[in-house]
Amino acid sequence: MKKKIVYFTILITLFGTILTGCSDKEVKQNNNTEKNQEQVFSLTYDHMNIELGSEFKVEKYGKENSYSEIESCAFEGLDKTYTYDHYEIYTYPENEKDYILSIYFLDEEIETTEGIKISDTYEDMTKTYGEDFKKEDNLYTYTKGKTNLKFIIENDFITSIEYTYDV
Amino acid sequence: MKYIKVTVIFLIFIVILHFTTKLLSPKYMTDLVEGSFTREYYEEEKNHEVIFIGDCEVYANFSPMILYEEEGITSYVRGNSQQLIWQSYGLLKETLKYETPKIVVFNVNAMRYDKPVSEAYNRLMLDQMKWSKEKIEIIKASMLEEEDFLSYLFPILRYHSRFSTLTEEDFKYLFKKKKITHNGFLINKNVKPVKNLPTKKRLPNYEFKENTYEYLDKIVDLCKENNIKLILIKAPSLYPYWYEEYDKQIEEYAEKHNLDYYNFTSQIDQIGLDFQKDTYDGGLHLNLSGATKLSKYFSKILKENYSLTDYRENKEISQIYNQKLKEYYKAIKEE
Repeated sequence: MKKKIVYFTILITLFGTILTGCSDKEVKQNNNTEKNQEQVFSLTYDHMNIELGSEFKVEKYGKENSYSEIESCAFEGLDKTYTYDHYEIYTYPENEKDYILSIYFLDEEIETTEGIKISDTYEDMTKTYGEDFKKEDNLYTYTKGKTNLKFIIENDFITSIEYTYDV
Repeated sequence: MKYIKVTVIFLIFIVILHFTTKLLSPKYMTDLVEGSFTREYYEEEKNHEVIFIGDCEVYANFSPMILYEEEGITSYVRGNSQQLIWQSYGLLKETLKYETPKIVVFNVNAMRYDKPVSEAYNRLMLDQMKWSKEKIEIIKASMLEEEDFLSYLFPILRYHSRFSTLTEEDFKYLFKKKKITHNGFLINKNVKPVKNLPTKKRLPNYEFKENTYEYLDKIVDLCKENNIKLILIKAPSLYPYWYEEYDKQIEEYAEKHNLDYYNFTSQIDQIGLDFQKDTYDGGLHLNLSGATKLSKYFSKILKENYSLTDYRENKEISQIYNQKLKEYYKAIKEE
């Protein structure tokens, strides 16, 4: 009888775990929805607002100077890069549409929405965005919801700026 | 009597669970064929003098059939999509349970990744790997935060939702699989010339991280312990960028550990590669034409610098490889 109970418990545990797996996913999805409603970083440039994670449309952002596409090793879909005068937009594919993954600054002619550009200093950055960043090597990352604003600082000067989106 | 009854019920449950898991797990036969690479090795004759380990840059770029045809070298590619360095180490350890090659060729591209990257790539590499201590170690090192070891132990936890999307492939290849690679090499005849590439981004730090060096040390030690010559390579590609700073570190490491290192990215002209014709994805990987050029080039390096056997003169092995060559050229014709 005891062994029967043990076997029965194992069966219930296994199926229970399977069901737990399902419900865990549901919880994660709900969390994502909540995060989507949080504040986010976006780039306002040349009277345009470029929203990370939003669908990329050429008609909205204009014809790029150059375009490149990168395939992943095994999975379908292309990571696309649209290069404009002063920045690049990287996209990721989902359900046959392309969404904005990151915006990479190419020179100091472009500023973040809050007015920081390449060649500004560490002090300029912290004055504008504060000190609530995550530092890894020379990389300083500010996060709002699923969006990040990343600065590389070398010898006290900003040498790289990139907006990214956590897919 | 009761004991027997309960045992029978339990066994039936195990059989059902096993069958359901097999049915629901991806077969990797027509879609995402990269998922069958790890398994295919188990079905091979284990008589290789050269083993390649690494990511997609080995399975797409080095053809063991050409190495044999050109110089009589027997080799196998144990590579997977986005194979990380701890996965390469684990696969090498597993390989050494089956055979001891004279040479291990490791593609250093994975040195740039110090953290697990993607659950989907983990699955491609691990789903069809045989259970062993190495598999457990790889799973533990590869899991992302949101992953669960149990879902590797019981894949049904991961794949139960495939129930509603099962296709003909799931039934057709339930028990028997077809061959996808040729000694681990994946034929791709497509041509997609290089046009534009994204900007070479500035990085916050170009130094490889400590844990990638730790695994590289482990690979070096494992080869030493087994009296295997380790060769480091960087396969030729135009993207993702192989920074000069990366290259310098590998050169220094190779010198310190008395290893040979070939960076084929800087030998594109000597190999005769033309990235308008020899790539299937705009400069990331070589297509069949490019892989053939590179394999011929590398086979000469191997023959001239390392004492490898010309197995074309061995009756037994040459019989096996001549059959493999027939299948290889037939597959090329049909692709």
